[in-house]
Amino acid sequence: MLARVADNLFWMGRYIERAEHTARYLNVNYFSSLDAPNTTSQSRDFVLRSMLFLVGEPAEKSEKLDEDKVLYRIGMDRGFSPSIINSISYARENALSARDLISTELYESINKFYHFADSYPTKKFVKTGLYEFTSQVTEMTAVLRGKIRGTLLHDSIYAIIMMGVNLERALQITRIINAKYNDAKKSPGSYGDRFRNSFEWTTLLKCAESYDMMRRHYKKTPNSLCTLEFLILNPRCPRSVMNSLNQVYRHVRTLDPLKIHDKDSTAFKVGKVRAEYQFKRIEDIEGDVQAFIEHILNELSEIGIQMEKEFFHY
Amino acid sequence: MSGDNTTIFTSYDRNPKLYDELYDPDGKVTKVYKKLFKLYGKHSIADYYELNNKAKASFFNQGITFRVYSEEKTNEKIFPFDLFPRIIGAAEWEHIESGVKQRCLALNKFLWDLYHDREILRDGVVPLELVTTSENYLDQMIGVDPPGGIYTHISGTDIIRHNDGKFYVLEDNIRCPSGVSYVLSNRTALKRALFGVFNHYNAHTVTNYAENLLELLETVKPAGVDIPTTVVLTPGMYNSAFYEHSYLAKTMGVELVEGRDLFVENDFVYMKTIAGPEKVDIIYRRIDDAFLDPLEFRKDSSLGVPGLFAAYKKGNVTIANAPGTGVADDKAVYTYMPDIIRYYLDEEPILNNVKTYHCSRKDELEYVLEHIRELVVKPVDEAGGYGISIGNTLTDEQVEQVRKDLRASPRKYVAQPILSLSVHPTYIEESQSFEQRHIDLRTFTVMGPEKSFVLKGGLTRVALRKGNLIVNSSQGGGSKDTWVLKK
Amino acid sequence: MAQLYTIRYTAENHYDHPVVEASWQFLIVPQENETQSLVRIDFSNSRNARWEFSQNGFGFITIRVRNRHELSDISFEAAFELIKEEVNPFAFDLSEVPPYNPENLQDMGFRLEHQMFLKPTPLTRLPEDTGCFRFDHGRNCLENLADLNTWVYKALKYTPGLTGVDTPLTEVLEIRQGVCQDFSHLFIGIARAHGIPARYVSGYLHQGMGYAGDAQMHAWAEALVPGLGWCGFDPTNNLMAASDHIKVAHGRDYADCAPIKGVVFGKGDNRSNHQVQVTSQQ
Repeated sequence: MLARVADNLFWMGRYIERAEHTARYLNVNYFSSLDAPNTTSQSRDFVLRSMLFLVGEPAEKSEKLDEDKVLYRIGMDRGFSPSIINSISYARENALSARDLISTELYESINKFYHFADSYPTKKFVKTGLYEFTSQVTEMTAVLRGKIRGTLLHDSIYAIIMMGVNLERALQITRIINAKYNDAKKSPGSYGDRFRNSFEWTTLLKCAESYDMMRRHYKKTPNSLCTLEFLILNPRCPRSVMNSLNQVYRHVRTLDPLKIHDKDSTAFKVGKVRAEYQFKRIEDIEGDVQAFIEHILNELSEIGIQMEKEFFHY
Repeated sequence: MSGDNTTIFTSYDRNPKLYDELYDPDGKVTKVYKKLFKLYGKHSIADYYELNNKAKASFFNQGITFRVYSEEKTNEKIFPFDLFPRIIGAAEWEHIESGVKQRCLALNKFLWDLYHDREILRDGVVPLELVTTSENYLDQMIGVDPPGGIYTHISGTDIIRHNDGKFYVLEDNIRCPSGVSYVLSNRTALKRALFGVFNHYNAHTVTNYAENLLELLETVKPAGVDIPTTVVLTPGMYNSAFYEHSYLAKTMGVELVEGRDLFVENDFVYMKTIAGPEKVDIIYRRIDDAFLDPLEFRKDSSLGVPGLFAAYKKGNVTIANAPGTGVADDKAVYTYMPDIIRYYLDEEPILNNVKTYHCSRKDELEYVLEHIRELVVKPVDEAGGYGISIGNTLTDEQVEQVRKDLRASPRKYVAQPILSLSVHPTYIEESQSFEQRHIDLRTFTVMGPEKSFVLKGGLTRVALRKGNLIVNSSQGGGSKDTWVLKK
Repeated sequence: MAQLYTIRYTAENHYDHPVVEASWQFLIVPQENETQSLVRIDFSNSRNARWEFSQNGFGFITIRVRNRHELSDISFEAAFELIKEEVNPFAFDLSEVPPYNPENLQDMGFRLEHQMFLKPTPLTRLPEDTGCFRFDHGRNCLENLADLNTWVYKALKYTPGLTGVDTPLTEVLEIRQGVCQDFSHLFIGIARAHGIPARYVSGYLHQGMGYAGDAQMHAWAEALVPGLGWCGFDPTNNLMAASDHIKVAHGRDYADCAPIKGVVFGKGDNRSNHQVQVTSQQ
């Protein structure tokens, strides 16, 4: 496979995943705030700030936020690189230049996805369409994942896409944890350890589509400890950082199984990070969530750079 | 089906002065179309409206689009597809196919001669100036033997039917002819929309193009290569024909590369893969000569590969079509085609050539200047229907402008009588009815040292604007599925 | 008597914005021919980028360099040793040179064989009605070409910095100044207009005798004299090319003979600096 095309496929995977998480974050936060149990969590300003924080553009404390503008910026603004429309558009551009390698079905779905987003009326989006648009985006990304799994040969092309998807997933989940951790500090719960019992942990789980399964697993109301454990360390939770790392590791090894012995390889690096989290306890993390977040973001970024050097640089 | 009972041909307005493919001179539906006419007659216009929209959405969603460049912005458009197929009977096709093969063979011999002994120039059959003043003649190719002796691996011959009922060749496209992917997607679209009609006809398949292309390309692999690696070289995803490039790569199962994916080392060409460099042996390029190698040709080209021409000259890589073929699809060379065919093959041309006036010749220039209104004036080396003036559609000022251009650079233009392209019933969206529209036919030929293959089908292009004679997609043309019937 | 020449060529390139993927091609290796034989070729670059010998489209030896790493500066250094036989440009029998006869030059075989050096190129196309040199039918081809050489020498004033490598003759003739490329293009343009095949030559000039040519590569012209073959004319110095002219390559015009071609993609400007030094030992 051409190095440039591998790069395109990798980023196609990443942008599809990024679009999904951004869209769901908007959806979940906006709509769970409507009937949140306390006034902070209900406040529109609080929600908009959280959204801006996620996309890496936190608002100044003094700044007065305009709902339409914030929604437009994160959803539809072509001039704002992390916007949903841009993620979809970049995903399609990357797919287009690798179009001869992916299935017609996958390309057609991405193309339809793009045309849906591209023709969605901006006004409708900020006024009444937020739910419809973001739900549609998360649905369509699920379809795309299905097409990736179901219509591509499970060879190096598939491995590269899945590495992009999973690396981005680990990254986005970490960023979402970061944003919601931040929110939980601002909007504590009403009983016991108020930080641990914040309503925001529930929202966090919903942002990761993991609420129901977490309830099934722990059989109790989410608190900080079990939420973080589930989303970071549980290898059976499909959205967890641990699972994402396991997936990246699995796919990087299919590219070249022998590379794992090479200390400078991506495979070695991923294996090392993965091993570290495999034997971590949530108590080690909960003490200093901030440090964990910085650490894992760093590691993920290094994996990305390593991949770039090993596979895409020519 | 639909409640609207207007059948589709009730309002068909047949102009008897035009050659309508559907009707014989007595106004009766021809034998090959009879069944189709009956079948389509059962549908109502409302059905058509619906089917047409579905077909359009399908093309759009699949991203079978091209980009049109204008001064303001670049638009993504689908190539309009018409649901009424064009049918070519077995005998007629045989005539076309043998004529096209004959031309391709003659052109290849002509190119070999131009870059070797140049006998045809020595014998005065084609004037020396025609070749030496052509910007597409590459001095660097003199004495170079392309693998297998093949220059024109891929040709796209444009054919029309005049109102005398005869076929004429309009152009021999032997640089990077495009359109073959539309032949295949048109067939797919028609099958999806109206699969029933195929039960009543025995049409040749068109899906065998890619395999034939790959097979023939592999017969001209560089010497010493056992199993060759072939790639398609594209200018990139912003090129108007990118869909076709990716389509061809995909159906041949080869890599689609851009210039930046390739590099030259020790005069061999390699592509950059995730597992390191991989040698490339055959390049089906879809970029023009001038952009192939910035060290040899246009130095500002970012589409090509530095050192590619050196690798080619050494015989380490095959480039298809060979560099320098453009000299022979010059519209001024076109006019000599009958002589070129006789010269190399000692045969009479099977397909007709359109009478052409060379503006570089003084007496012919005078004739053209006086008869602009009856002629089509074309630039010699522009593709895509740009710069064409059709005499009877020009205003007085435009006529003056053409005269001025002709006097300023006569070598740049040729002129031909205005042909009356045959017409074919075509669904027109605006009026929601079937109307006569002018059509042509682009055939696709691939040629190797041992054999050549003409795709049994081709792209019937249709000028969608009423009365318009230019069928190119960049000029608002559409296309039809084209059936070649089995014997 | 044969001379041993040592030629040093250096080029320094600077890019305002770092470039990643870049290729350069050098057409600087002296040609091996009847009067020139190479003893030694050295080539190196400051980045240790991979390089190889190759050929350009007309068969002349090139050095191609490809760099894959980010850089803002790169310098190249080449050294050649070459033995040059003594050339006497006047060692011929003048009686073998036929008188100038434009009709003989119209012979189809002759024109076909030399069409490459007969057709105008963007850099050698003469403007119309310039009152340029006209061949004298009373004199033979060689005499006419020698007169042309002198005419060009006088027509232009040698002035560096006014013209570039892609200045067309129309402009050169307006300002009547230029450097060796312009002198050579003018000579070639006029010779071709008279049906004489003429080609552009790039090479090195040994500066020992104070010729114009700078510490740069030099350019002159070769014209096909019927009865004699290709002869070198150096209109910049009003000379026939001789022992001090070390040929590298010829082509239709400068564009075929550029000593360095770079394919570099990046923003911003770049600066390039070349130096040539030719020394001789007998």
